[in-house]
Amino acid sequence: MKLLRLFLTLGLLAILTGCATSTPRMAEVRAFAATAPQLEAYHELTERYRGTYQREQPFLSPQADLAERELDLRRQAACDDFVQLQRGVQAYMRALGRLAGDRQYDLEDQVKALSGGIKAWPDTGLDERHVNAYTGLARLATRAVTLPLQERSVDELMREGAQPMQDVLDAMRTLLRLYDKTSDNEQRIVLGLLETQLPYLDPKRDRLLIALAKSEQQARRNDYRLAGLRYTLARQNLDAIAQQHRALLGQIPQP
Amino acid sequence: MTEQERFEALADNFTAAANAMHVQLMKAIRGGLPPAQAQALFDSEVALRTRADSLYLDAAALAADGYGAATQQLLELSAHAMRIVAKIDRIKDLLDLSAELLTLGAAIAAGKPEHVLAPLEALKHHLTALGEG
Repeated sequence: MKLLRLFLTLGLLAILTGCATSTPRMAEVRAFAATAPQLEAYHELTERYRGTYQREQPFLSPQADLAERELDLRRQAACDDFVQLQRGVQAYMRALGRLAGDRQYDLEDQVKALSGGIKAWPDTGLDERHVNAYTGLARLATRAVTLPLQERSVDELMREGAQPMQDVLDAMRTLLRLYDKTSDNEQRIVLGLLETQLPYLDPKRDRLLIALAKSEQQARRNDYRLAGLRYTLARQNLDAIAQQHRALLGQIPQP
Repeated sequence: MTEQERFEALADNFTAAANAMHVQLMKAIRGGLPPAQAQALFDSEVALRTRADSLYLDAAALAADGYGAATQQLLELSAHAMRIVAKIDRIKDLLDLSAELLTLGAAIAAGKPEHVLAPLEALKHHLTALGEG
């Protein structure tokens, strides 16, 4: 049977050539792209920075409040720009992942379509073997046609994205450092008021006030400690992303 | 030193001054400083911190400035990459197409015209979709 022989030949071809098409490098690109959600921390911390005034407002004197409110207006406007920074990096990493094939192209549908057809017509001469041969062939053809295009496109994207990625990641890291420093000042304003007022309270008369102030002190101290950890972690994640990107760039085969 | 770094360094100086002031203030409070004076000194400390934060914001604005172009470049590169992904998807579509052709061929070979209709429909849809893509 001519059809059968054709399939067997093609199947064999698929097996023979299929061996040469493994791509650990693309797997690494996919793994890199999968770390993109870590960029969310930058977004969250920008929003936290945006809320600086709101958190410290109850602790401000009328005079300080005036100055801080003016600063807040400028901060609100600036944060609108700051959150945009991560958009480009995120889109880039997502595109890189898609291009490197993070969505497994599903051959199963094709196989199902075919085996469904076979079941419908048992006497056509098409059976399981043909389906298997076809699957092998399809896999091979998919790779033969798309893999070079895919790899070439991934390499090109990474080369062209290298400089803007490094620039934007640098800027994001700088902003995180500045948020952190501002958060330190906020902490010292908030805790400083409690610390400088508490000694003047009368333990008998102001018992409730002292209790509330101390409890607030503990809660705030903990908040700021956790915020500090988040800044550190977010910076480390950005460093890791920058470093992995550089490593992947270094792996691109020279033409 | 870039302008952003100069702003940041200046802000660091204000912060350091405020921190030093706070240490002195706490010492004075423990030494029996009158509350009105303590409050006035703390207000000055806060004013220094506001000044520092204002400079940190200036530094941040400078750091973020000019990266609109880099971000734009990344967005364009991503869009371009997604177009290639779409192209690859269309190649995969061709493979689906060949599966349908195969099924159709089998139906015709089996000599069962009533079975030809469904795969033919599927094929027609597929060709239309490819044409639109």
